[in-house]
Amino acid sequence: MNDLIIGMAGSGGDGIVSAGESLISALAREGYYAILTKSFGSQIRGGESSCRLRVATAPVLNPGGTLSVAVVLNWEDFLKFGGELPVGPDTVVIYEKKTGVAPADIPLKIKPSVVMAVPMSEMAMKAAKTLQAKNNVVIGLLAGWFGFGRQAILEGIRRKFGKKGEDVLAGNEQAFAAGFEYAEQNPIGTDKRMSPPAGSGGKRIVTDGNEVCAQAALFAGCKFFGGYPITPATEIMQHLQKDIWKHGGSLLQAEDEIAGIAAAVGATYAGKKSMTATSGPGFSLKAEVLGLASVSELPLVVVNVQRGGPSTGIPTKPEQADLFAAAFSAHGDTVRPILAPISVEDMYGVTVEAFNISEEFQTPVVVLSDQEIAQRKDIIDPVDTSKFKLVDRLAPTAQELEPYVRFRFTESGISPISHPGMKGGSYLAAGIEHNESGAPTSSGEMHARMNEKRLHKMDALKNRRDLFVIEGDADAPLGLIAWGSIAGVALEAVRAARAQGLKVKVLIPKLVYPVVEEVYQDFFASVQHGLVVEQSHQGQLHRIIRMWTNVPRKFTALARSGANPITPADVLAQITQISQTLAASPALVPTA
Amino acid sequence: MSSTTADCGCPPAAPVETYTAKDFRSTLKPIWCPGCGDYGVVTGLYRALASIGRPPHEIAFVSGIGCSSRIPGYTTAYGFNTVHGRALPIAQGIKMANPDLLVLVAGGDGDGFSIGGGHVPHAIRRNLDLTYIVMDNHIYGLTKGQLSPTTPRGAKTSTSSYGSIEEPVNPLLYVLAYGCGFVAQAIPSDMDGMTKVIEEAIRYPGFSFVNIQSPCVTFGDPEDQAKVQKAKMKKLSDLGHDPANRLRAMELAQTYGTDLYTGVFYRNPNPPQTYDHYIRERQEALRPKQAAA
Ligand SMILES: Cc1ncc(C[n+]2csc(CCOP(=O)(O)OP(=O)(O)O)c2C)c(N)n1
Ligand code: SF4
Repeated sequence: MNDLIIGMAGSGGDGIVSAGESLISALAREGYYAILTKSFGSQIRGGESSCRLRVATAPVLNPGGTLSVAVVLNWEDFLKFGGELPVGPDTVVIYEKKTGVAPADIPLKIKPSVVMAVPMSEMAMKAAKTLQAKNNVVIGLLAGWFGFGRQAILEGIRRKFGKKGEDVLAGNEQAFAAGFEYAEQNPIGTDKRMSPPAGSGGKRIVTDGNEVCAQAALFAGCKFFGGYPITPATEIMQHLQKDIWKHGGSLLQAEDEIAGIAAAVGATYAGKKSMTATSGPGFSLKAEVLGLASVSELPLVVVNVQRGGPSTGIPTKPEQADLFAAAFSAHGDTVRPILAPISVEDMYGVTVEAFNISEEFQTPVVVLSDQEIAQRKDIIDPVDTSKFKLVDRLAPTAQELEPYVRFRFTESGISPISHPGMKGGSYLAAGIEHNESGAPTSSGEMHARMNEKRLHKMDALKNRRDLFVIEGDADAPLGLIAWGSIAGVALEAVRAARAQGLKVKVLIPKLVYPVVEEVYQDFFASVQHGLVVEQSHQGQLHRIIRMWTNVPRKFTALARSGANPITPADVLAQITQISQTLAASPALVPTA
Repeated sequence: MSSTTADCGCPPAAPVETYTAKDFRSTLKPIWCPGCGDYGVVTGLYRALASIGRPPHEIAFVSGIGCSSRIPGYTTAYGFNTVHGRALPIAQGIKMANPDLLVLVAGGDGDGFSIGGGHVPHAIRRNLDLTYIVMDNHIYGLTKGQLSPTTPRGAKTSTSSYGSIEEPVNPLLYVLAYGCGFVAQAIPSDMDGMTKVIEEAIRYPGFSFVNIQSPCVTFGDPEDQAKVQKAKMKKLSDLGHDPANRLRAMELAQTYGTDLYTGVFYRNPNPPQTYDHYIRERQEALRPKQAAA
């Protein structure tokens, strides 16, 4: 096998998530790629917890659908995760013998082909005299059955428990060995073993979208962060507070989200690249100050790690339903570019790009990440930063300072910007409408011209075709559009469909807003049928695209509320169905 | 005007004192109502800034929204007329991004103690070296005469036709209770006194607060106008008040709304380190060590 999906669930004390983390680190060292997602019950600590680990020999696009392996520490907890841990007829089910359930009686609607009751607790007690070692028994079982390298896992155990004393270390090593031996003695078939990775892991790293975002921000030159803790965005601040000082910057945990973005606006006014990060409820609070940044033409990066909404919603689950809020937050005629990463790794480039666009166009840029990308762990290759160029805001020349006209009308709409401390550059920045030199005005004519300036300067974004991923048959009558963490799902489905000989293509906008009409029109030229695949009940991306472009009549949406995973199999099923419809009505011609 | 300070990034060289009030007056003509107290405030500020001697381009002057919040535009400093109630966090971001700047914050009583009230304690406890001037007219001027957080109980305004039934905020007591290191009050009709406390506030190394009772001639109480204020004013210095005495300052501040004390209520005799100081210290400590040449 070269693609394996493991799902595990238990109670908080079972160490299931920690088993997933240990495994993914070992797999990275061995040279595999993987995605680890974690999911918890509503209790902050101690409730039921689960994780999914998808391992492959090639980069993994998404956490996948039906499990190849289900590890059940107790049935009650496992079943609570429902659709997040789907079991199919081919799933290998391994469960704790202590649950007392006979293999024929397991509480699943499907009868999987392989079901094993393993005395995990007993093995842990015997090997390490503590139930805490259960997770290493589980790792041993998985390594034994699926052929993950023993060496890398043992190294990990040594690193993790080495400091906790000889006894603890030995106990955990023995727990692992017990699991491994149990697997060897109770084989489930060699066809289940993972193929070896192509090469060694080298410098490959295990990281998540929030960490990558923080690193990319520092690389891009971020010198100030203002924010307020909120799930699932907090880790961005937690990472930055360690490192931003080393780059000569500073960070403020503000009294609320308004103060967080306000301080960031102050810092960018003072000439420093700055950012804030939040999630839905905080994003709603920031709206007014976002408008201030737009009208005073200040560069700023605002990350919104989307979670289930409205209001408190589901803080720990992903959703893609903040697109309207991001595009239309804050009143007035304005455009704030929105970028969305499609994977953990992509968060790097997207964050750098967000700083670049904000600096170039002197505008706030919203990065719409989501809970999955922010908090799942991916194995990625080290980011090659040499491919990025960094952009700084346009500074006035000496000549332009005599006298300085901050909001001067220029061909591009972009005017040189000074900052406090720069001699000769003093000006009044304001939320109030102003003329070229910054003086307040209520003239309708000036307002129209300034609106035009602020909107027109974004036109250059239309040339950024590099911010769109297009894959598949250029002349396909069937197209998909997807964004954010769902993009990887759509991509996999399209690849699978094409492998079956279906003609299909996919468009993935990383620049989600403004809607670049030309890109969509070109894409739609061959398309009769299709879907926007997104995790939003209303299908917000579908609706926003329709506001600006002529979408083919049969281009609809596979739109699902957040916290309801969309799997590659779901999308593939739709592609297959649409392809059949298309085949049955060959007379259809593309709409002009 | 001539200055020997660096073009940017400061830090301020000892100013070769050559600034006059005029150097801080911009070409924008104020649009306040004739007689508005805010004219006096901006004049006092020009004078105070002239004595401080920092060049205008090294000053960032932040305000919220309100009649009073127009003030930055009337100076030659870098001005930022932001949104209602958020001047303090924006000013803190500026100061954190560039601690070498002289950062001033101003606005109305509504801006500072109503919509922006939640930011005041945090600005004070963080203690960045900022000066916060509230032009307290006990009314909402810009929106034409509604209740403000400092409107006295019983006052009839355009949103309290039958008289206010709520207790006003006491700005002086508030900031003293929050731990503000420098607290003063002034009236524009005592130009010299006001100029002096503004200057002292700017010189105080830490967060400083000046409440200026600045009359609103258009919507304010007739009993709250320049002439009455001048007659009512009692200088704290004449009372022999020791500004190092915080408890006495709080006692005197209790009388806000009845007595009109001007001057310095409290100046911390041992100013603690500022937040800006800790920022520099942390940046310095964590700066990657340069490889030896
Ligand atoms: C978010 C928001 N809410 C309300 C307003 C309307 N508004 C502008 S200024 C103001 C109050 C002005 O009073 P104050 O802050 O005391 O300043 P003054 O005009 O008296 O100097 C109000 C309510 C606004 N601009 N923004
Ligand atoms: S309304 Fe009052 S506060 Fe506003 S400018 Fe006129 S007098 Fe001054």
